[in-house]
Amino acid sequence: MNSTSNTLDTNGTTDTRAKPPSVLSTYRTELAIAGAIIVIMLGVGAFVPAALSLGNFANIAQAAAPLVIMALGILLVIITGGIDLSVGSVFSLTGMVAASAMANGVDGFTASLIGLGVGVVFGAINGALVTLAGLAPFVVTLITYAVAGSLAFIVTNGRSVGVAAPNYWLFNSGSLVPGIANYVLFCIIFLICLEFVLRKVTFGRWFYAVGSSSTAAHLLGVPVKRTRFAAYVFSSTMASFAGLLTLSYILNAESTSGASLMLQAIAAVVIGGASLFGGTGSAVGAVLGALMITVIQNGVNLIGINSFWQGSVTGLAILVAVLIDRFSQK
Amino acid sequence: MTSLSSSTTLAERQSNPQRPLVTLRGIQKSFGPTHVLKGVNFTVRPGQIHALLGGNGAGKSTMIRVITGEIRANAGDLHLQASHGGDPKVAVVYQELALIPDLTVAENIALVHAPSGFALKRQAQAALIAEEALSLIDPHLARTALFRKAGDLSMHEGQIVEIARALSTGAEVLLLDEPTANLTAAETEQLFAVLKGLAKDKGIGIVFVSHRMKEIRQLCDVCTIIRDGKTAIDARPIGMLTDAAIIQEMGQPAHRAEAQIARNDGQPVVATLTGPTIQHPIQRGTILGLAGAPEGPAHVISSLIGHGRHRDWCMTGDGWGNAPTSPRDAVAQGIGFVSGDRATKGVLAQLPIIDNVLASRRVRERRLFVGQNERSECAGLMQALKVKAGSAWDRPGTLSGGNQQKLLVARWLGLPLKMVVFEEPTRGVDIGTKRDMYALIRQMAEEGTIVVWWSTENVELLELCHEILAFDTEGQPKGFLPADRFDEDALAELTGMAA
Repeated sequence: MNSTSNTLDTNGTTDTRAKPPSVLSTYRTELAIAGAIIVIMLGVGAFVPAALSLGNFANIAQAAAPLVIMALGILLVIITGGIDLSVGSVFSLTGMVAASAMANGVDGFTASLIGLGVGVVFGAINGALVTLAGLAPFVVTLITYAVAGSLAFIVTNGRSVGVAAPNYWLFNSGSLVPGIANYVLFCIIFLICLEFVLRKVTFGRWFYAVGSSSTAAHLLGVPVKRTRFAAYVFSSTMASFAGLLTLSYILNAESTSGASLMLQAIAAVVIGGASLFGGTGSAVGAVLGALMITVIQNGVNLIGINSFWQGSVTGLAILVAVLIDRFSQK
Repeated sequence: MTSLSSSTTLAERQSNPQRPLVTLRGIQKSFGPTHVLKGVNFTVRPGQIHALLGGNGAGKSTMIRVITGEIRANAGDLHLQASHGGDPKVAVVYQELALIPDLTVAENIALVHAPSGFALKRQAQAALIAEEALSLIDPHLARTALFRKAGDLSMHEGQIVEIARALSTGAEVLLLDEPTANLTAAETEQLFAVLKGLAKDKGIGIVFVSHRMKEIRQLCDVCTIIRDGKTAIDARPIGMLTDAAIIQEMGQPAHRAEAQIARNDGQPVVATLTGPTIQHPIQRGTILGLAGAPEGPAHVISSLIGHGRHRDWCMTGDGWGNAPTSPRDAVAQGIGFVSGDRATKGVLAQLPIIDNVLASRRVRERRLFVGQNERSECAGLMQALKVKAGSAWDRPGTLSGGNQQKLLVARWLGLPLKMVVFEEPTRGVDIGTKRDMYALIRQMAEEGTIVVWWSTENVELLELCHEILAFDTEGQPKGFLPADRFDEDALAELTGMAA
């Protein structure tokens, strides 16, 4: 109908405003968390020198991997201003389903696909109830938390199942890329992909737009429902992936294996600078948050503090992290 | 507080009708560099219903806040004098109800009598207080509504409860800020009966803020008009003023000289605006104003941008597809939308400016990636609109309201659009931004885009539009006014509203 306006001066490249902020200022929160992690590790190292050994770093990475992956999943939901309480139950159910499948003669790869299917299905249920039925995310995922949690018992009547496929441990501990254990590799790949999507892909920016103001985003033509739906499917599928990774490491599935992980994953995302009101958060932050929680737990163990204190120390760390975030904003 | 009657009798109050309850003399108030009130005079007398008029931004709400003591004036005299000496209580009833929806009517009324928030009276006692308060102005409601939740009341009933609550605390001055905006005609009549009774029988001083000429004439005794922070007409009996005089006194007088009559003669007709009862040809580059009470224009706008459930207005014609089924569909068809309700319908507050500005382009052009060239694109748009921002990566909250509004326009500037829909784009922005807005609207129209523009300020519509579609207070379309027949009286008559 009409052409692009010629009154626009698009020659703004020399303008300083066009310069993106430096990496330093973009990742300010994340750098602060990384610094805190180093401080904690050095502090633990002062008591227990072995804490700073390569072996312990590997321990930390192995312990952190499932949490990192779950945190990256739930991050998307939290950016859209939602919450996913079902990830721990989905984690457990995935392990039970995949292990049971292998016990019934299914090969490891197919069993893993079936396990991931659990995540996709529960994510789709969450997403559909939130977007189509318009129910509150807290309520919807509380329901699927309860259902998936109970199904995890029903699969085997509550018994734990060992992994029958002989080479299944390779999924976690093998090295698809020489020199890097798979559990580290997966974390790095997911981190890079998600950070790229959130920053550089239009669809990734929609997660922030929806979380910032779903009405404004909708009126602007942002596909709000599709974006929300994708967030829940992603979150749940990542929880399934984490469940498979843990299954491959422990080679045994239990009905309650993921029970404590849901709160830890939310905590990791919050430590990483995301707001539960939506609109903020980064993949790097979520990964660092998960690392921080793991490092603290590892330190409490090494120093020999009664492990019952773990929760209190983690809680304190969350408090410190959100206070720093709160007061570094302005 | 157990008794609802104040210490003086009605006879005493009415025996001295000359003594005003509220007197404002030469009140001035600035917010930063903005002088909102530049010397306002205003008087509220017992038993009088006083119409307070003024265009948007004239300073009415600031004046009300000065009277209630919410803010303090910079200069001038504020004199409050209750009938029995001491300060009279002043109560304000706003358009939005201030009742707690989950409490019963009785609890809502009793709430203000409790010595502290924790000492909510027992139901029976609350009911007693509430019944006493309500029966004074609406005995029927007092019998039937005490134990209903406030959230279940109709708008009218809620207002009555609020008025009763205010009076039960001994308020002698009642300020009503556009109380009829959300009422049906029948409810409005009921409310007026109550208000007249209060003034006549109880000697309450009532201030009535409204734009609706008919209602003002129906209800009020005297009229004060505020213009540009000053009192233009001070407590003139309403019968002495013609509608035209009121409009003239309110108006920032129309700036439109004959030569400036907006014309787009000779432009081809490119679309037909189709409504439930109306079909009207629209020329290329038309600025179509929507005027009148909010219901009608709001309905047209949500229909045109594919939002909401009942979409019975649409543009048809060559090149116009089916009526948009969603805002996303509308954007894809080349229909843009700018709202003056920046906080809820416009700005994405958590996202940097660059995302805010480019979101529409990303949707429209189905961009897959956030591109490098978007930086200069955004900088160019901000430069073109003279938006001063530290960095395109700052949040929009760092900008003034006017600049935020420009960001919302920037979303559509330079895009090949068939139509842009504006919803009160000059709400709450300074005069400079308003001028910029007008220039942008003209520019878009000159490029051939159809501009549909709803404003509650008739003056700006008359200044810029080629045609105005007027709606009455019931939300029904009353007809199109072409540019050569523009005048404020005609528009006021069609819409039933001044300004």
